[in-house]
Amino acid sequence: MQYEAPQTLDAAVALLADARGAARVLAGGTDLLVQLRSGAIEPDLVVDIKRIDELKKITAEDGGYRIGAAVSGAELGEHEGVRALWPGVVEATELIGSTQVQGRATMAGNLCNASPAADSVPAMVAADATARIVGPDGVRDTSVRDVATGPGQTSLGRGEIVVSIFLPARPARSGDAYLRFIPRTEMDIAVVGAAVSVSLDDEGTCVAARVSLGAVAARVLLVDEGARVLIGTKLDDDALQALAAAASAACSPINDKRGTIEFRTDVAGVLARRAAQTAFERAKG
Amino acid sequence: MPGLTNSPGAAIDVARKQGNTRPGMEKFGIGQAVRRREDERFLTGAGRYIDDQHFANLTHGAVVRSPHAHARIVSIDTGEAEAAPGVVAVITPDVYFAQGFGPIPAMTAIDGIVEGTLNHPPRHALADATVRYVGEPVVFVVAETKFKALAAAELVTVGYEELPAVVDLAHTLDADSPMIWPEAGSNLAFRFEKGDAAGVEAAFEGAAHRVTLDLVNNRIAPMAIEPRGVVGEYDAESGTLTLNVSGQAVHAQRNQMAAAVFKVEPDSMRVVAGDVGGGFGAKNFVYPENILVMLAAKLTGRPVKWISERSEAFLSEVHARDHVTRAELAVDAEGRFLALSVDTIANMGSCLSTMGPVVPTAASWVSMGGTYVVPNIHMSVRAAYTNTMPVDAYRGAGRPEAAYIMERLVDAAAFDLGIDPVEIRRRNFVRDYPYSMPLGLTIDCGDFSGTFEAAAEAIGLDGFDGRRAASEARGRARGIGLSSYLEVTLGMPSEAMELRFESDDTVTILAGTHSTGQGHETAYAQIVHETLGVPFDRIGFRQGDTAAIAVGGGHGGSRSLKIGGSTLLRSAQSVREKGRAAAVHILDAAADDIEFADGLFAVRGTNRRIGLFELERAVREAGDLPETVAPTLTTVGRFERERHSFPNGCHIAEVDVDPETGDVDLLAYVIADDFGRIVNPLIAAGQARGGAVQGIGQALLEGVVYEPGSGQLFTGSLMDYALPRADTVPDLPVGFNEAAPTDTNPLGVKGAGEAGATGAPAAIVNAVLDALKPHGVRHLDMPLTPEKVWRALLQG
Repeated sequence: MQYEAPQTLDAAVALLADARGAARVLAGGTDLLVQLRSGAIEPDLVVDIKRIDELKKITAEDGGYRIGAAVSGAELGEHEGVRALWPGVVEATELIGSTQVQGRATMAGNLCNASPAADSVPAMVAADATARIVGPDGVRDTSVRDVATGPGQTSLGRGEIVVSIFLPARPARSGDAYLRFIPRTEMDIAVVGAAVSVSLDDEGTCVAARVSLGAVAARVLLVDEGARVLIGTKLDDDALQALAAAASAACSPINDKRGTIEFRTDVAGVLARRAAQTAFERAKG
Repeated sequence: MPGLTNSPGAAIDVARKQGNTRPGMEKFGIGQAVRRREDERFLTGAGRYIDDQHFANLTHGAVVRSPHAHARIVSIDTGEAEAAPGVVAVITPDVYFAQGFGPIPAMTAIDGIVEGTLNHPPRHALADATVRYVGEPVVFVVAETKFKALAAAELVTVGYEELPAVVDLAHTLDADSPMIWPEAGSNLAFRFEKGDAAGVEAAFEGAAHRVTLDLVNNRIAPMAIEPRGVVGEYDAESGTLTLNVSGQAVHAQRNQMAAAVFKVEPDSMRVVAGDVGGGFGAKNFVYPENILVMLAAKLTGRPVKWISERSEAFLSEVHARDHVTRAELAVDAEGRFLALSVDTIANMGSCLSTMGPVVPTAASWVSMGGTYVVPNIHMSVRAAYTNTMPVDAYRGAGRPEAAYIMERLVDAAAFDLGIDPVEIRRRNFVRDYPYSMPLGLTIDCGDFSGTFEAAAEAIGLDGFDGRRAASEARGRARGIGLSSYLEVTLGMPSEAMELRFESDDTVTILAGTHSTGQGHETAYAQIVHETLGVPFDRIGFRQGDTAAIAVGGGHGGSRSLKIGGSTLLRSAQSVREKGRAAAVHILDAAADDIEFADGLFAVRGTNRRIGLFELERAVREAGDLPETVAPTLTTVGRFERERHSFPNGCHIAEVDVDPETGDVDLLAYVIADDFGRIVNPLIAAGQARGGAVQGIGQALLEGVVYEPGSGQLFTGSLMDYALPRADTVPDLPVGFNEAAPTDTNPLGVKGAGEAGATGAPAAIVNAVLDALKPHGVRHLDMPLTPEKVWRALLQG
C-alpha cells in the first residue's frame, strides 16, 4: 500500500486520478483506519489530505460558513460562528465517536463514509448544505444529499475529493437541532437520527423547515411531508403529531441487531418531534 | 450513610483527616482507609501483565477455530500453512491425540446430582472429529511472529459437514432437539435436586396464594480489561512444563492439568501468574490454549505465546449465568412466605467447563431463599448442553442467580397481592439469628432489616412519591427497585499463608490466594501491620507461582479476605508467639514480663527491648537455641473454613423510563452492605461498586446472543455486546453495617467481592418494573434494552 500526503489539492487530485487499483482519501481516518486494520478494505493508495492548508480552514462566506474537509469535530465545536448559526450541525458532528475521535473525525469524512447512520449527515441535509467537490474535471458543487448513493457507496467520480462543506446563511429567527437514539449514552451507532431546521416569522410561525432522518433507510432521508406539516404552524400539538406521523411514514428501515423496523419507525417520529421542539426554541432565541 | 459506619464518603474524609495523602502520617491498621499501594504500579503502566513479560526465543500461537456451531470435521489440510513463512509448528487433532493426554477435568462430585443422570463427555483442547460451538479450537499454529501465525492459520483448510445445531436453552431438552452428544440420547448433562419436594408441595396446597414467575437469567461475557493470555515453556533438561498465565488459581490449574491432562507429577509442572487485569472467575479455569502452548513448547523447544484478541475472547472465554427458571412462592393470607419452589434449566454450553456444574447447584442452593424466612424450599435443576461456548463461574456464580430469583419473586408477590414491595419485605425478613435455612445452612448473624432500612433512608424512600410526580410532569415514568440480597462466601475452604522474614529486614507475605486487582497487597499488609507492628513499607507481597508457594486456593467465591486474611492473621499471631518465646531467651527474661507493642518486645519495667527484625537476626545467628525457640520467625499459618459466612445487604435503584423510546435512565443508586468487619473501607466500597456496575450491566445492557438455527454468535465484539460505561451509572454511595459481627473466622469478615454483582440486577429490574407498573407490566427479562421496554409499553 502506498501512502501519500500531498500539500496541494492539485497534487492530491492527480495522485487519485492516476491511481492504479483502489484508492482512498484519508482525512481524520476514524473510519478508514478501522476498515484497514480489520481487513475490510485493502487499498493500493491512501492519500492523506490533512497537509493541504486550504482544507483545514473554516471560512465565512456569503453569510454562511465553508468547512474544510480536514477540519475536525473538535475544531468545529470550538468555532463560535458556526455554533451560533448551525448549532444542530455542530451538535450532530460532536456526537461522532468519543473525545479522542473528535480530535480527528471530520464532517466530510462522515459524509463520504456513506453510512446511512452517519450522525452529521441528517443535520447537514436539514441545513441544505452543499459539498464542494474537486476532481480531474475541475470544481463542482452538489447537495450533500447527493453524495451518498447507498450504504458505503458515493456519487464521487474517479479522482474526486470532497474539499469542503458549505453551510448557508439563514434568516434571523432560525434554529436547528439533531437527536439520535442509541442504547448507550455515547460511542455507538445511531439506531435512529433526526434533524430539523426551521425559520420563523416575527409571530413565531414557521415559514421554512427541513426535516431529515438517519438510519431508517439506505440513505439519509429528507422528509418533505415533515417540513410541510410544520410550515404555517407555531408547533402546536397537532403539528407535532403530524410531524411524527410524517417522519414515521417516510421510514423504510431494516431489522438488524440495533433495532427492529417497528422500533425504528416509531422512534423516528418521536425524535423528529423532539428535535423540532428544540429547533423552534432555538429559533425563538 | 445514616445509621451505618464507614460509608465511603466518610472513609475518604477519614483518610484525608488522618493525613493519608502525606507520607509519614499514615495509619495502616485494620479498618483504615489505606489507599491501594498496588495502584501506583497499575496506574503508571508499571504492572507486569502477561503480554509485558519477556521470553527469549519466543514464538507465537494462533488458534484455528470452528466457524460452525455443530459440524463433523471431514478433512484438515495444513500443507499450505506448514509451508507459510515463519511457521514453526502446526498442531492438528492427529498430533494432539497422539500425545495420550486425558480430557480437561470438570467438577461433578456434587451432592444432589441425581444418580444415573450425569452425562460428562470428554472435552479436549482440540476438537475430536466433531465441533460443537462456534470458536471451538481445531488446529493450533505456531510461528515466529503473531502476524505470521495468524496468516498461516488462515491457510489451514478444514472441511466440515454441518450438523443441525441448538442454541435455545428453553428447547434444548425437547425430544426433537438436535443431539450434541448423541450417544447419551438427550442434551441433559445432569439433574440436581435439593430440598423437601413433598413438604413444599404440601405448603403450596395450604397456601392462600401461589405466585409464579418465569424468568431468564441472561447469558453474559466476563470481559476483564486484560484478555486471557498464556506463555508455555518447556525445560528439556528437567522435563518441567511451565505455564505463564493471566490467571487466578495457579495451584488448581497446575494440579488439574498435571493429573488429568498431561498425566505427570505436579512437581514437573509450574504455573505462574504476574499482574492480572481482572478475572471475575473466568480466569480460574483450564482452557484449551493453556494446554496447547505447553504442548507446543514441548514439541518446538521454544516458548509459545497466545494472547486473546478482544473479539476472540467472546469465542474462547467462558460465558456465564444463562438460566431459564420457573420460580413459585407460596404466600399466606398475611403476605408471609411459606415455601419456595425453583425449577431451573441451566446452560452448560457444549460441554462441562471446570466449575460449570457447580454454579447452578452447589454454589446456588446455599443462598436460596435470601434474607427472608422461607420455611420450605425445593430446588430442581436440569443442566443442559447447547451448541454454545461452555458456561462457568463469573462474579457471584450461582448466588446472583438465587438472589435474582428471590428478589424478583418477592416483587411479583407484591404485584399479585397488591402489597407494597417495602412492606412485604418487612413482613418476611429473618430477624432471629442464628437462622437455619431449610436447605441446610445456618446464617450465623446478620441485621437484614437494619441494613434494608438504612438503604431506604439513604435513598430517601419517603420522598419517592414526590420525585415520581416530578418525573411524570416531565413525561417520564419513575420507579424504585429494592434488592435485599444474601451471599455466601465460597471457594477453596483452606489456605496456607507464609510470613517470610527476609535478610533485608522486611517480611514477605507469600499468599496462596490470588489478587486479580482486588487490593490484596494492601489489605493483607494492613493485617500484618496491625498484628505485628511492622512498618507498612517493610511488608512485601508475593502470589501466583507454584514454584515459590507450596499450596494455594487461588481466588474464587469471595474467599480471599475471609480464608486468606484469616490464615494470614493466624500466621502473624504465630509469629508474635514465636517472637515472644525468642525474646524470653534473647532478653533473658521471664515470659510473664515480656510485653509486645509496635513491633517491639520489651521487658516490663526495664529499657530492655528488641524489634522483630533484630530478633529474627538474633535467632538466626544464635548457635544454640533452646527447644522452645524457633530458629526463625518465618511462619506458615493455616486456616480451614468450618462454617460459612453470609455477606448481605440492600441495593436500591431509582430510574426514569422514557415511555416513548423505552430508554432507562439510572438516576440514583445506594448500597448498604454487611460484610462483617471492614479491613479497608476504600477497598470494600470499591468491590461493592465494581460488582454493582457489572450487575447493572447485566440488567440493562449485556447479553450474549447466538443466532437461532445457525448458532452463530451475534454479539462478537464490544460494539454489539454493550458493557456499562462510567456515564451509565450515577454515584454509588456505599455504607457498611458492622452491627452483626461474625465469629466464623478469626478476622471477623464475611467477604465482599461478589456482593455487588449479586445485589444489583434485581434492584434495576425491580425499579424499571415499578416504573412500568401503571402500564400493567409484571415482568421483563434482562437486559432491559430500550426496545424491550418500548415493546412492553406498546403491549401493556
